[in-house]
Amino acid sequence: MQISARRLENKTIFDVVGDIDLANSPAVRKALLAEIKEKKIPCVIMNLEGVKYIDSSGIASLVEGLKASRDAHARFILFGLSKSAREVLQLSRLLNLFEIYDNEEQALSNERA
Amino acid sequence: MVRRRLLLRIELKSDPQVLCGVRGAISPIAGAIGFKEEDCRAITLALDEAITNVIRHAYGGKPGRRIEIELSKLNGAKQEQAGLEILLFDRGVKPKPDSFKGLPPGELRSGGLGLHFMRQSMDKVVHTRVGSTNRLRMVKFIR
Repeated sequence: MQISARRLENKTIFDVVGDIDLANSPAVRKALLAEIKEKKIPCVIMNLEGVKYIDSSGIASLVEGLKASRDAHARFILFGLSKSAREVLQLSRLLNLFEIYDNEEQALSNERA
Repeated sequence: MVRRRLLLRIELKSDPQVLCGVRGAISPIAGAIGFKEEDCRAITLALDEAITNVIRHAYGGKPGRRIEIELSKLNGAKQEQAGLEILLFDRGVKPKPDSFKGLPPGELRSGGLGLHFMRQSMDKVVHTRVGSTNRLRMVKFIR
């Protein structure tokens, strides 16, 4: 898995490529929390177009990011969920707790998909 | 009577890096048996979560411990008895009874989802402890 950050004004977009599982979810969590808690970025966006698989440890990292963003009164947005990733989020019954868009354009313009 | 035919027996080490390899192996096997794509994804998720639980909880994150997996095809007199059986064996700590409760999902929390995913994905999920060995049996039937 690879995770890289793009910084646009007051937003950070994380581009994630690869599976998110127990082997690499700590890296996702660390990157998210550093951006939200330490750098205090008011809007963090996760580009998951390149993520074909996510397991409970990956969902846990996204939940940590969402919790931290709520605590910091920041926004936490997901876009580009694969069928598999969406299925897993649905299974967790957490899908509706996240702000989710189909693509980057929608995420940046804040139009709910 | 349900007949059980062993397809694969593998031994892994308790290292998260093995997960992607296991996922890569299980889905084609499930597909070859006759599971639909959606069910192949469910089986892959269940096995991934089961191994993750062993690494994190039974072995406490310690690497190099043994995990054994057996995949068997199930055939019965009735079509609905056909399916896949997955057995996992580890010699880690005995799970606490509370760990089988499977916390109710839907709350904003970051733990307890793995068992829920396994139960949602498979038709049977049964943990037993025999001597110093934890045994997990998961079954999914072909629909």
